[in-house]
Amino acid sequence: MSVIVDGSNGLIFNDASTQTTAATGFGFKNRIINGDMRIDQRNAGANTTPSNGSYTLDRWRVQASQSSKFAVQQNSGSVTPPSGFKNYLGVLSASAYSVLTNDYFGINQFVEAYNMADFDWGSATAKAVTLSFWVRSSLTGQFGGAIRTGDGSNYSYPFVYTINAANTWEQKAITIPGPTSGTWGTGNAVGLDVWFSLGTGSTYTGTASTWAASNYVNATGSVSVVGTSGATWYVTGVQLEKGSTATSFDYRDYGNELRMCQRYCVVYGDSGQYTHLGIGTAYNATALNITVGVPVPMRTGPALSTVTSGGNWLNAYVGASGTTSNPTPQLGEAGVSCYRIYVPGAGSGWTAGQSFWCQVITSAKLILIAEL
Amino acid sequence: MYKLAITPPATEPNGVIKESSIFIPFIADNTDYQKYLEWVAEGNTPEPADE
Repeated sequence: MSVIVDGSNGLIFNDASTQTTAATGFGFKNRIINGDMRIDQRNAGANTTPSNGSYTLDRWRVQASQSSKFAVQQNSGSVTPPSGFKNYLGVLSASAYSVLTNDYFGINQFVEAYNMADFDWGSATAKAVTLSFWVRSSLTGQFGGAIRTGDGSNYSYPFVYTINAANTWEQKAITIPGPTSGTWGTGNAVGLDVWFSLGTGSTYTGTASTWAASNYVNATGSVSVVGTSGATWYVTGVQLEKGSTATSFDYRDYGNELRMCQRYCVVYGDSGQYTHLGIGTAYNATALNITVGVPVPMRTGPALSTVTSGGNWLNAYVGASGTTSNPTPQLGEAGVSCYRIYVPGAGSGWTAGQSFWCQVITSAKLILIAEL
Repeated sequence: MYKLAITPPATEPNGVIKESSIFIPFIADNTDYQKYLEWVAEGNTPEPADE
């Protein structure tokens, strides 16, 4: 292969393709996790009307000051995703709601501070970043969002993008100058927050394209998706990278992307079969200790939640004889890649030390949550 | 809304159960625990743990 280095056009390859800007580095170029919306551990593609602060597709959180104003679903509406993608996050507005002064509706992703420390934000050497994404809506016009601290320290950069044609995928790129001020998180705390507004009141709306010491999540004059009943807003290919140029989407293998999501949430359960959870031993006549492995060290000790099927989620077997139950699991000690999970009231008549093989029953779930 | 929970062999609460279904550990980095602390700071008190 021949390569021509041209002062005006950059690199020109022998198939006539060009590279006009410098590469921005390799390895974790995209700081957004699940930017192509492939992973949906919690809902497996099901439609949801999520509450404020809950998660939809992995890593993507719903912000809603009022309940039931929109639904979220992977591949909602079953439109063809943009070339190169198989999935998208879809929002469907439930009503024509007029946002109030203090209202906020949006989809956001918190980026862990470990994963953006090289941005040097809050210092004189702060680096610019570029946010790019594919978006499609039944509405047209100027839409808004923001990058912000996300930890309550109130420093934000509202941005705008324009959707020119209804129901058509369009790719957008927004370059954001590195903030030399603001208090940005460190370690495993929130580093920054990427927020797409679906409708925001004036309290949280500010002037676009400038950093402000305010908690803005939207830019002045932007469309409110929740303001139109039946309006759609779809997004995929979300990428946040260092530098002033949007480069090609950072495709990662499925297993790696899933593990990146599982640092924040692990779901045990399957709609079609039992899921083996781990080996348990009776703590006393009614309670079990179960050793539950996780595929990657989680961000922090997780909260535990369950989804039941037929009123139960657990089946603890001795030989071929199982006992189904609906205990509230409690977190014991953490190992490097496993936890002791204590389940009181999982059975009766057991002997301390008795061994069990434990499964999550079909269509039920055990969810370990260590989100930001 | 919140109820203290003891995970044996501990004898003191090491977490809370929210709305009878979600166990939240007393771990500083856990954001659900941080929300619980905000709830307590607002003057609320959790239910005692089961004996």
